[in-house]
Amino acid sequence: MATTRRGFLTGAAAGALGAAGIYELVDRLTSSPARTAAQGLPPEQHLLESVSVVRDEGVAVMVPPLHHQVVTAKVRATDLRRAQRDLEDALAGLDSRFEPTPAGLGVTVAWGLPYFERLVPRAWAAHAPFDRRARKPALLATRRFPSDPHSTVLEENDVAVLLRSDSLEHIADGAKALFDELHVFGVTSIRKGFAGGGFGAKQSLPKQMAMAAGVSGADLIPDTAELFLGFTSTQAANLGPGRIANLETLGYTDAAGGYFHGGTHMHLSHIFEDLEAWYLNFDFQERVATTFRPGLSVREGAQTVPQGPTEVTGVEQVERDFGRRGRIGHSSSIQPTSRLAADVVGPDGTVYAKGTAIPQRADFNTLDNPFFWRPEGVDHTPSAGVHFLVFNPTSDDFHRNRLAMDGVLPGRRLRLEPGSRAQGLNSVLHTTHRQNFLVPPRTHRAFPLAEL
Amino acid sequence: MSRVAGVLPLVAVALALAGCSGGGGGAGAAVKAKPSCPTKAWQRLANQIHAPVYCPRWMPDPLDGVIGGRWNNIRSVSPDRSYLMGFIWFERGSGELHVNLRGYPGRTSIPRCPAAVGSATIPCFADPHGHIRAKGIDATVYTVNQGADQWHVLLAWHHHGSLYALSQHVAAPLTYEGVVADLKRMLRDLVFVAPSR
Repeated sequence: MATTRRGFLTGAAAGALGAAGIYELVDRLTSSPARTAAQGLPPEQHLLESVSVVRDEGVAVMVPPLHHQVVTAKVRATDLRRAQRDLEDALAGLDSRFEPTPAGLGVTVAWGLPYFERLVPRAWAAHAPFDRRARKPALLATRRFPSDPHSTVLEENDVAVLLRSDSLEHIADGAKALFDELHVFGVTSIRKGFAGGGFGAKQSLPKQMAMAAGVSGADLIPDTAELFLGFTSTQAANLGPGRIANLETLGYTDAAGGYFHGGTHMHLSHIFEDLEAWYLNFDFQERVATTFRPGLSVREGAQTVPQGPTEVTGVEQVERDFGRRGRIGHSSSIQPTSRLAADVVGPDGTVYAKGTAIPQRADFNTLDNPFFWRPEGVDHTPSAGVHFLVFNPTSDDFHRNRLAMDGVLPGRRLRLEPGSRAQGLNSVLHTTHRQNFLVPPRTHRAFPLAEL
Repeated sequence: MSRVAGVLPLVAVALALAGCSGGGGGAGAAVKAKPSCPTKAWQRLANQIHAPVYCPRWMPDPLDGVIGGRWNNIRSVSPDRSYLMGFIWFERGSGELHVNLRGYPGRTSIPRCPAAVGSATIPCFADPHGHIRAKGIDATVYTVNQGADQWHVLLAWHHHGSLYALSQHVAAPLTYEGVVADLKRMLRDLVFVAPSR
């Protein structure tokens, strides 16, 4: 029987969905921590229960799931209502098999603007959440930022599914159920990676993985680094708590009580990290200055630097530092937009204190180049990078944070050469792909609005 | 950020030898052992600065350590008697090999260089990463270096109140690991040349 190109690609994607590749090493190099049981399924898809916390250098650090996978796709189904039922059945099946914790399986289904505009345009026009603060839709088309290269691909996927677990097998089962056994999607990419692992060990998981993969500059990664770039990033104070990133919590949108109440916004990008450039050109103090704040004094070799509400930097401080030292720090430049400027009480009565982080990051280390699989092929040479994934209340909220990284602050713009060394971290990062998505609440996660 | 920033302006781009590999020992390329170091010019240098120098008996192929030779792109002696001898091979599309040897007679402190950002100065050699020992030399490995040593891995050591440095650029076809292997071999094969007058 002749094999068609489409059949071949479908088969190849199916194989890649369950294949571990180099990430098989993760399970050989480390083990997952003990996790507590879930309290039940939250209304939000993006919240993962029972993420454990360790203390490192006196700072609370979240231990994320070991394995991550993102599958992007275009919708193939023509009967959306039937596809909606089938997908919901498949997702409910996964819910019944795995609890929504790192020990089980976290599944987050996010939908891109092309899906809403092409397949459910009328319902979208009626129900699309609106960002009242920005006076724009809550879900915006993806854009490039000043330090992005021209080559950054602005993607137009219909859907992205994030699978998170300490078990590769659970992720493979989830991916198979949604993309192999179900025939509603055409896979456009498979992205894999790992996070956490090795806290307290002699050598951290990222260091061991980079060494095993033979990535340039791997020898230079500090032995116990949580990320390839050497600092701890999953500090509890750095990650938005609870429902803060929901569309409705901070009142940025009109989603409260509507179809998308309990949903959020997700940005997905892939970024290459030039480890040699980072470790051979920036000494430790400059790496601290550029990652956190110019002039910040920390112990030589420290990896976990406190980023609590009292360490938050305001716009004036960022501007002063830039004027005095000619550079900005990654964290300090983002904080004026990523931290709460005042106490906020959420719709459920939760008090979010001034200085609390809003974005809920779910990024993970990767050796994909740039993806694990895509129809047109990938480079199989491992390359250090990050699949950056973050939940914000709206596209505009994410855009504000990302622009701040480039010195575009609320009400003012610093004279920074895009990608220059004065931007520090950005000068060793290379973003290859970007896209914004809307994450509906759990009740509308399958083909949202198709039933209307 | 360019990997040859701070280097190319100084470089008279060398013509590649036909069939010549750009790889050093660490890259697994063919290695041509040099029978002895080209002492004459190094002896002249030692005499000029009234202090010992280190002559490289081995360098990654095709570099040869000959002062005034085809690969010697930097020959600099400062009024304070410090010196910088640079050797470079560069071929577009193939890669680059760049080795620097330095000496700072009469001083042991690490010199300071202009910071890449702002007006402050910073140590020219920073981020120590352990030691490499050979032939009685205990060299500290520095991974973040400035000026002509930018993007180089650098070994620095003291001898009788003077500071010496040997560095190699991390650039294709070499990786950090390959450069460290080259540096180890170069350190092992350095020849100590004392001033003769």
